[in-house]
Amino acid sequence: MRSFRVWAIALIAFLLTFTVSSKALAFCGFYVAKADAKLYNQASQVAIARSGNRTVLTMANDYQGDVKNFAMVVPVPVILQREQVQIADSRIIERLDSFSAPRLVEYFDPDPCAPPIFWNRPMAAPAMESAAPGRAGRSNQALGVTIEERFTVGEYDILILSARESDGLETWLVQNGYRIPQGARDLLRPYIRQQMKFFVAKVNLEEYENSGYQALRPLQMTYESPRFMLPLRLGMVNAESSQDLLVYILSPEGQAEVSNYRTVKVPSDAEIPVYVKDEFSAFYKAMFQTSYTREGRNVAFLEYAWDMGSCDPCSAEPLSPEELRQAGVFWTRPEMPNNVFITRLHVRYTRDKFPEDLIFQQTNNRSLFQGRYILRHPYTGEMACEAGRQYRRSLRQRFEQEAQTLARLTGWNIRDIRDKLPQIRAEQFPALPLVARLQQLMGRVMER
Amino acid sequence: MVQDARLYQIGFLALFLLLGAGTRDWSLNPVVVLSAIATCLITQALCGAVFYPSDSLDPETEDPETEDPATETANHANHTGDFWGAIALRCRNPKILSSLPSALVTGLGMSLLLRVDHPLTMALAVIGAIASKFVLRLRGGHVFNPGNFGIVMALLWSGDAWVSPGQWGESGWYGLLFLGAGGLVLQKVGRWDTSAAFLGSYAVLEAVRNLWLGWTWDVWAHRLMSGSLLVFALFMITDPRTIPNSRTGRLIWAGAIALLTFILRNVFFLSTAPFWALFALAPLSLLLDWLLPAARFEWSQSALRLPFSPRLASRQKYVPE
Repeated sequence: MRSFRVWAIALIAFLLTFTVSSKALAFCGFYVAKADAKLYNQASQVAIARSGNRTVLTMANDYQGDVKNFAMVVPVPVILQREQVQIADSRIIERLDSFSAPRLVEYFDPDPCAPPIFWNRPMAAPAMESAAPGRAGRSNQALGVTIEERFTVGEYDILILSARESDGLETWLVQNGYRIPQGARDLLRPYIRQQMKFFVAKVNLEEYENSGYQALRPLQMTYESPRFMLPLRLGMVNAESSQDLLVYILSPEGQAEVSNYRTVKVPSDAEIPVYVKDEFSAFYKAMFQTSYTREGRNVAFLEYAWDMGSCDPCSAEPLSPEELRQAGVFWTRPEMPNNVFITRLHVRYTRDKFPEDLIFQQTNNRSLFQGRYILRHPYTGEMACEAGRQYRRSLRQRFEQEAQTLARLTGWNIRDIRDKLPQIRAEQFPALPLVARLQQLMGRVMER
Repeated sequence: MVQDARLYQIGFLALFLLLGAGTRDWSLNPVVVLSAIATCLITQALCGAVFYPSDSLDPETEDPETEDPATETANHANHTGDFWGAIALRCRNPKILSSLPSALVTGLGMSLLLRVDHPLTMALAVIGAIASKFVLRLRGGHVFNPGNFGIVMALLWSGDAWVSPGQWGESGWYGLLFLGAGGLVLQKVGRWDTSAAFLGSYAVLEAVRNLWLGWTWDVWAHRLMSGSLLVFALFMITDPRTIPNSRTGRLIWAGAIALLTFILRNVFFLSTAPFWALFALAPLSLLLDWLLPAARFEWSQSALRLPFSPRLASRQKYVPE
């Protein structure tokens, strides 16, 4: 009986090992300089449209240097053929960015002495900086490196490489004129061992000049893979400091989130002083940095999650069906044109806090979220009524509240903020009768 | 000192819910949590009334309680054909009350792990979880871990449920809290070996993969320090009623779940791998019980003195099957 049990256990273990098959099949690479130009990539933007295992990945390219020095290496899960790589319209990433960007909204207080009227006007979003430098070269050698595919798309010459060893790949890249950052070899190895391929792009100068475009356009690749991730590690090799990554995930289901780091909502719906209108970019940067530090520097921030059929308030018009198609959305049909949910994730990463590549997952969570900041303009017209006086008295407290909110969100000095707050002066209300003005003065004295 | 480990479990799970909602930016909806708690208690009570045999072993406690006056009367009522009277009497079955803490553990565990858009989805998932204990039975025990069954059913069949494996992050402080709390509960039920075997084998598998790939060790540590993995290892797979009874069986079982989790995560890229692994391998525990027989786990009842059945509390002797 006992030996029978042992055999039964062995059989189960044997069956288990055979019921699983092996499949290995991810992203955001590092830029490689061919010449001696300084390497630096501060922020990158990626759009991922995904349904099932089918993924359309668009990498924005804001490379500012000389195009002949541009090159990039990105690990990809499968060998990509010519028809799987396209050039996307660079406006598409801009449209996704402006549609989903954290937004400032302003409201105007109504005349407290009159029936209310509201305005609700979206403001321009903060401009998110992006940069994408790099350089390249090419050649052809053995070294365990195989050129799986070689083709030209738009202004890019593209190679799909597979490698057996990281040493060979590194040598190949160096021999072909790519400047590899120190330490890249150790980081290439895990991707090679996961049987990932390397997407290497550089600019075909002839095509570039013929195209007449001023800037490099985004590269878009389509593939099938159960892997839903972005390789950060390679990108950190040549990083001087923390780097920003904006990921726009388009899904037919709902919100996407990072499954191996926390996904945290960026602070939102805060009422802040009106003067921030002129320095919203500085505000957003400071607020993001404060939240980033407070959360331990190892989270992904959710900045926007919305059904792409609408927006409220809109920082930009929703994308048209044609624009969605250009952004990689492949599942919409004429009868269901708006079956697209966008998630905007903002990751600020450093080597010490993000050891592992980002892994995403789609969820059925269709709750809406937006980074939204509110300015409430006080009413400044004449207020010759009791309600008006109460309103005026309430303003001081409101301004203080807004100042404290701003200080808490940004870490700015509360005294500097208070100095910039509007002053409430009695001269603003000249039409008040004498008794009311006395009461007002009394109120002010008592508030002090 | 409270004897029933389930009460510790309830306390810790409630604490984790509060901590998570308060400090981890969770979009926990109190209505969803309440619906989970209410549904699990009501379902347990109703299922208990319907399914608990009035004159044989109790599926939750399996106390050989045969002379309880309430059940005797219920039998009598059944014979006389007074259906509603029988139901009413069955509802007073003391076994129902003693089984409620188990149901509450399931409800709280599911609130902690499962995310839904709508409270109704949570209620349905909890109903499925509790009902599975009464319907999917084999050899006198339930086949699936109820919480795990409810979560997998919700992921499969509802359009608006999901699990957020990244929700706890990988903060060391939370890891310690989970280990401490889990260890305390497992010490009380004597099933710490299951968690140790699961975490140990999973850590070894990930270490081998890490070594082979050539990642630095912080990648390995990051993968293991995930708060969600620890909650799963310490509070879900350890449900003593759905794991093998013998220690060898438990070690094999936990190792098998670790292996399947590893494969699902690294080969099939499933972020919710542990839940699927546990679901798929739950029936294995029955097989292991058959291969390696041992005494069955019983919840200690002394903490739950039943107001209308004093004899039950006084008769705590365990009689094996």
